Amino acid sequence: MLATVHSCVLVGLEARRVEVQADSANGDPKFFLVGLAATSVKEARERVRSAIKNSGLDFPRARLTVNLAPAEMRKQGSGLDFPIAVAIALAEIGKQAPARSAFLGELALDGAIRHVDGVLVAARCLQKAGFERFFVPSVDANEAALIEGLEVIPCTHLQHVVAHLLGEDWIPPQPFAKAILESSNAALEHDLVEVHGQEEARRAIEVAAAGGHHLLLTGPPGAGKTMLARCVPGILPPLDLGEAFEVAQVRSLLGDLIPGKPLDWTRPFRAPHHGVSMAGLVGGGSGLALPGEISRANHGVLFLDELAEFQAPVLQALRQPLETGRVTITRSGGSVTYPARFTLVAATNPCPCGWLGDSARTCRCTPGLVDAYQRRLSGPLLDRIDLQVGVCRVPLAELASEPRGEASATVRERVLSARTRQLDRQGCLNAQLKPKRLREVALLEPGSRRTLERWSEQKGLTARGFHRAWRVARTAADLEGTEAIGDRHVLEALGYRLHDVAA
Amino acid sequence: MSPLDVSALNARGRWPPPAGPRVAIVGSRRPSPYGEAVAEQLAADLARVGVVVVSGLALGCDAAAHRGALLAGGVTVAVMGTGVDIVYPASHLRLAEEIVAGGGALVSQFPNGSEPRRQNFPARNFTMAALSDVVVVVEAAQGSGALITAEAALDLHKEVMAVPGSIFSPLSVGTHNLIRDGAALVQNARDVLAALGAAGEVLDDPLGTPTRLGFGLKGERDGILLHLSDVLSMSAAELARKLQLPVAEVLGRLTSLELDGAVRRHGQGYVRALRRGEERA
Repeated sequence: MLATVHSCVLVGLEARRVEVQADSANGDPKFFLVGLAATSVKEARERVRSAIKNSGLDFPRARLTVNLAPAEMRKQGSGLDFPIAVAIALAEIGKQAPARSAFLGELALDGAIRHVDGVLVAARCLQKAGFERFFVPSVDANEAALIEGLEVIPCTHLQHVVAHLLGEDWIPPQPFAKAILESSNAALEHDLVEVHGQEEARRAIEVAAAGGHHLLLTGPPGAGKTMLARCVPGILPPLDLGEAFEVAQVRSLLGDLIPGKPLDWTRPFRAPHHGVSMAGLVGGGSGLALPGEISRANHGVLFLDELAEFQAPVLQALRQPLETGRVTITRSGGSVTYPARFTLVAATNPCPCGWLGDSARTCRCTPGLVDAYQRRLSGPLLDRIDLQVGVCRVPLAELASEPRGEASATVRERVLSARTRQLDRQGCLNAQLKPKRLREVALLEPGSRRTLERWSEQKGLTARGFHRAWRVARTAADLEGTEAIGDRHVLEALGYRLHDVAA
Repeated sequence: MSPLDVSALNARGRWPPPAGPRVAIVGSRRPSPYGEAVAEQLAADLARVGVVVVSGLALGCDAAAHRGALLAGGVTVAVMGTGVDIVYPASHLRLAEEIVAGGGALVSQFPNGSEPRRQNFPARNFTMAALSDVVVVVEAAQGSGALITAEAALDLHKEVMAVPGSIFSPLSVGTHNLIRDGAALVQNARDVLAALGAAGEVLDDPLGTPTRLGFGLKGERDGILLHLSDVLSMSAAELARKLQLPVAEVLGRLTSLELDGAVRRHGQGYVRALRRGEERA
């Protein structure tokens, strides 16, 4: 008998449909698995055989062929265990699988159905492809239930599923989990109210949050760079539904979702160590690339502490995602694209010892060493960072006193209204404005244009740098709630260009 | 910062004084000849270009400063620790009259008839600092009253400058400590004028005595220059705190000054830029 069951394999944030055909025919009892299965899929033979037997079902005592179609597509992962087992069981019984239904899950030897990564992504794609029912591991059911218009059947054991398919038993579907935006009044782990002094950097992170600008903090050790960076997610508005969904899909692929709470409204904050590899940062792995830190930070904050300590090629790889908000990685298994629209917050010491320019301690680095250190930061990456500010150590006396700064909630109000202005006006944040759009929506008053041009001449700004300063001025005006960009906005924006040196 | 009400002071002579920067010159009551000479010279050079010299009418450096200003035909103000009708020390009666006659003033926060009392002088020192844009300490031993003036000036976010002396002189221990703590070093009137943000217009000849002075204190922007040192950098955040202005605004003004070449970046902060031809030997 022949039985066909639908499933899918994941290619990045897309799922490709796979048909699992099982045929038991006369001949020596043998089990063939064909259709370009990678090792992890070939192992399914052993798991499926045991699982079927241990579920009290009959394993075909015949020549059994399982075909994974389309055959030219390479298939990876353990998620096909479950559909293969269902196909074999149905072939043995002589029944067909229900129409427009798909299966995904890994099998334990006893027939239990185990977690697989990426169920949310699979559910979204299957629903779009016209499937109506999706059999998933019960532990992953709440992920799949986020998709409207898809009946999600939570499966714990192969035996129950077969009984359900034969009409002997009934598994109630997981109800659709309508996403409800939570108001995030939860106490922040890092609140700006705890930051002493640092008025300049506080303002800079506010501007960064408001316009989606990237930020570099330069200062001696212990100046509070990390603390400031950790405050950034707290002054960003919570994720909207679409963003939360994208975040959840990347996490789903990596098996990183919080059980029982697939949608999280807080902005991601990722802080990879400076030893991170290229694959770890931008994504990679064998076969098909998995998302890296920059995609985990999608719609959130990527914090790179000790920026100069990162390997140069790793940093250079950030250039494309910084510009486009996406990253495309090609591996032997194919090419995948992941979202990577993050706010980069980087921190660095001014020199190897860290004390250059500090008022209290003396830098011990030779000028050549300092030069080499700063050169590591310079060039194309720095050119893509809109805001570059210095952070000084706060005097001890100040640290002991009660902090007087604003709370994150207050700052977030301003950030939110500035972002709303931008989205209403141009449909994107200022940092993402293309030069053409920038000219349209960010008119410079004659005086402010002259200021910007004078600076560009004095400091030898690139065209990119010129536009970046312009965008920051746009954000400064938006924070103030004014449409026209005045001299003060341009001057403030230029004040955030610490690393511009005279031409 | 200090809500010092100038009109609330008792005064004899022209008060308030003519517009222009005010520099307090203070120091020991028993100065070395060196200190006395410095006070007189400095006061004369500053008064000649239109600076109002403020001091305390005390013996020693104070008197020398008043004298210097008068010799140069300038205006000087004596801030007194007694009522304006009681000159203390009495030996300065004549000097006091000359100050008034020279277009300056004797001022005091104490009512007429107030006798010299020990506890009044620190308050007088505070007033002196509040009335001035810059405080120059000429000579001060450790614990000198002039250091109280300097401290008051710091509290009021005024620039404090100090004149160096011999390392063997106990009368320079206080000034050297000030310099060590960040006070700008004064070698001549040019240094003081530079601190006032007026150097660019004055000094064509680096060794000569300043002759022209167009005090173009161009509004708010230059409030920043008074706070910036040309050696130690100060962050925009710190400046914003001192000026009690929003940091975004301070940053904008600094950028504007940077465009004009008046300040430059140093480390994580800003310093005052020395223009070409202005560098001191």
